[in-house]
Amino acid sequence: MKLLAMFALLIPLCAQEPAKPAEDQTKPAADSAPAAQAAQEPAKPAQEPAKPADQPAAAPAAAPAPAGEGWLQGSIEIGYRWIPNISGNFNAYRSTVNLGEGPKLLDADFSLIDPAKRVFDRADVHATSWGGDPYNTLRVDMSKDGWYRLTADYRNIAYFNFLPTFADPTLTLGTLLDQNSFDTAIRTTNIQLDILPKKWFTPYVAFERNTQFGRGITVFQADRNEYPVASLFSDQTNNYRAGVRLELGHYHITLEQGGTTFKDDQGASDNVSSPGNFTGTFLGQTLPLTAMNELYRVRGDSIYSKALLAANPFPWMSVTGDFIYSKPRTDINYTEKSAGNFYLNRILQFYSTGQDVLTGDANQPHTSANITIELRPVRKLRIVQRWMTDRFHNASNALLAENLLISGAPFTDQQLANDRMIVNYNEEEIDAFYDLTSRITLRGGYRYVWGDADVRAPVLLGTPLQAGNLQRHIGIAGFTYRAGQKFRVIADAEGSNSDQTYFRTSLQEYEKAHIRANYDVLPSLRFNADFSLLNNSNPDPSIKLDYSSKVESASVNWAPKGGKWASLLLDYSRSAIRSNILYLVPQILSPAPSIYRENGHSVSAIATVKWLSFGGTVFLSSGSRPTQYYQPLARLSVPLNKHVQWNTEWRWYSLSEPFFIFEGFRSNQLTTSLRFQR
Amino acid sequence: MTICRTIAGVVLLLSGFAGSAQTPATPPAAPAAAPTYVGSDTCKTCHEEIYNNLQKTPHSAIEAGARRGWAQKSCEACHGPGSKHAESASADDIKNPAKLGPDEVDRTCLNCHLNEKTPVGRIASGHAKDEVACTSCHSVHGASGAKLVVHKKSEINAKCSSCHLSQAAAFNRPYKHRLPEGAMSCVDCHNPHASFPADSMRAAFGNEPGCLQCHSDKRGPFVYEHPVQKIEGCAACHEPHGSANPRMLVRHNVADVCLECHSNLPIPGAKNAKLGGVPPAFHDLRSPRYQNCTVCHNKVHGSYVDRTFLR
Repeated sequence: MKLLAMFALLIPLCAQEPAKPAEDQTKPAADSAPAAQAAQEPAKPAQEPAKPADQPAAAPAAAPAPAGEGWLQGSIEIGYRWIPNISGNFNAYRSTVNLGEGPKLLDADFSLIDPAKRVFDRADVHATSWGGDPYNTLRVDMSKDGWYRLTADYRNIAYFNFLPTFADPTLTLGTLLDQNSFDTAIRTTNIQLDILPKKWFTPYVAFERNTQFGRGITVFQADRNEYPVASLFSDQTNNYRAGVRLELGHYHITLEQGGTTFKDDQGASDNVSSPGNFTGTFLGQTLPLTAMNELYRVRGDSIYSKALLAANPFPWMSVTGDFIYSKPRTDINYTEKSAGNFYLNRILQFYSTGQDVLTGDANQPHTSANITIELRPVRKLRIVQRWMTDRFHNASNALLAENLLISGAPFTDQQLANDRMIVNYNEEEIDAFYDLTSRITLRGGYRYVWGDADVRAPVLLGTPLQAGNLQRHIGIAGFTYRAGQKFRVIADAEGSNSDQTYFRTSLQEYEKAHIRANYDVLPSLRFNADFSLLNNSNPDPSIKLDYSSKVESASVNWAPKGGKWASLLLDYSRSAIRSNILYLVPQILSPAPSIYRENGHSVSAIATVKWLSFGGTVFLSSGSRPTQYYQPLARLSVPLNKHVQWNTEWRWYSLSEPFFIFEGFRSNQLTTSLRFQR
Repeated sequence: MTICRTIAGVVLLLSGFAGSAQTPATPPAAPAAAPTYVGSDTCKTCHEEIYNNLQKTPHSAIEAGARRGWAQKSCEACHGPGSKHAESASADDIKNPAKLGPDEVDRTCLNCHLNEKTPVGRIASGHAKDEVACTSCHSVHGASGAKLVVHKKSEINAKCSSCHLSQAAAFNRPYKHRLPEGAMSCVDCHNPHASFPADSMRAAFGNEPGCLQCHSDKRGPFVYEHPVQKIEGCAACHEPHGSANPRMLVRHNVADVCLECHSNLPIPGAKNAKLGGVPPAFHDLRSPRYQNCTVCHNKVHGSYVDRTFLR
């Protein structure tokens, strides 16, 4: 991150030279298009007629200098946020909103243009929400025409979740302790350098990093009791990749080789005596934990190879295809030490200390391939056929050594385990598109999905693996109606009647429909509407799945005269989910219905009248977890002069859940800022 | 499989039919009447603003570069030869991609952009199927600035939301990814030009679900995988756009999420919808200790140590 910040700071230094005289400005542009380049094969579009022969040979036209524009354009907005009050549950506030008080760099957006085109032609830097906010972003996009393009993207998102009611077995005792919570940050960095962009041969290299670190609460589980303990998260994944994009006439190919490294050093420890969630006695004894320490040391790596093809071999045919092979693997070392009084079901005895050591490894070779062919036999007809496969298996081994102290005597046991998972997924689809008129396109198709999977079987089945099959025949239909650029309706539908699926909740006998329409009544007035539907059922007498989801949305966007004086953006969405399915109540293994209902209304609106904007969002739902979530806002933006604007924004956050009243919160926030623009 | 073979046969037949149609769809016009290229300077005479905007964008490379053969003819690279239009000034005498069908617009763009980072697979994408042309999102002339498409996360989200209303509305819920805050954008997870996984999801590390790009601790491979995560993906348990339920779960209670799948009795040989067996029966759901499965089964995304995800 420091490197990125330094890099962002250095960029302006590269461009702070004053603009050179005009004759200097034209020289680099001329250099950038040498005559030799002009002699390269002209990959002309297939459909275009031949070029006239009398055209001058690729004169090196000077890229236009940004006449009348400064070397630096953009804006920066800095301000301060006050949060006078957060009433209700602070942890629920942090789990959903998490904004803090203090000075902020709210937004910075710069474009640097080097008139001399030395290190770069143009660099764009965009940063948001710095200064203690729970999500910070930085993006740098820098390029020199014909030489390189460098993009860097950084994101730091606080990942806090401590909802008192979420995983709290002690709630009935009056204790608010979510035993599955975390206060972590996820940081991602992506950097890619394209060399010789827009040439026929474009190599590129890229680096990506993802880290998560922080603290949390997890549960140490013994056979008859479980204990909340403090946990630490620390993992990092680095991804390195390099490749080349080749444009060979009508055949374009991308070859990429990548590799990752992964480490996970999470752990948990506690030295405070804890009675655990089970506070009674078992066979006359209490089961407290006095100390524990758990440490994972996982190291992983993977390689992957990727080949992409895109081709127009004939004017009537297009082809795209991917082939990707990856092989991630991990090595695991795990230690766990615990002290207290525990009971081990397997040997039907109490023990006072335990030490577990595990070493293991897992491999997951994974092959994916996909090819799509589009044929255009006649002008009005397109036929698209796609075939894809995705197959992988997981093979793992682990050796667990247990050392227990039972009534002062050592007890040692070793367990060697291995596990496998094999998944093969295939899909084939053919679609035909027919332009009935210049305004209407009809489409219809058929998709066949099939596969098989072998996964670890439940203990009660008595076999190591359990097999599942997948087979779906899906009919597809739809149309597009368009009246010029103003009005468009898109409708899609598909349905299937399958008898082989993997899981009880998988798509089995289902229908899906989706209709979307937009109408530009005026250049400044647009209406949108959207409707989607999914019905899924599984009539198996032990399952009786009956699922339905429906969403209806509409929006209007009105911005007369480009929204200079007034504008309105209004969205309304209504969603309904209805789900019924049988499940087996674990303690009696008799069927009972699992019922889920959700009826949601969501509104977001922003109205702007000159300097004043107001609106916000509302989400109201009823059903299994009724929720009211309000986020109104008002914003005043007053231009102080040509380059400075004063912004003041008020926001209100309010969450209430009638079934979980401890988790409600309300918060006022006031942010005032100055935006400097050049 | 019979149906598949039938379809394959039809496709092969159509391929043969298409082969016979290899002659260009547009018959060669009489040379005398064929319009010729006049160069961008001629176009600029009337369309100066458009020309100047274009030169601030990456498309200026068409005008400056000779490799694709359109140096000093950048306008005609997409609009076709313009001599007839230059003489008549009639809109009927020039190819206007804005008035073409989406499929033809796409093909015009893909003439050059066949092998960019993202358009691979474009012909199979949902956008292509729904006839949403490249120009629906990309401003070819750069009318909105130097970029052909918006790059700021908040602007990307606004662009996608203008059509995907219901998905945008899901982000008004309390438990969601940080899109409304501008920390993420739709294209962080989706590739609008289509990709290998379903729903135009981006792939990570070659051919793995795009969610793992940020949640790479859930990637594994684990000694004990949770099959549903690998087979049906994260969306089997989570609503990625936003949910009224904590942790963006699809149900209000964790036990419901788990037990709706883990309710199959161990019947050997049963194959349909039978992955996911019943839990051991000492889990008495009446006790608060067992009402949230992930209190104990906290490594539910996969475990390096325990087959029941306890550690």
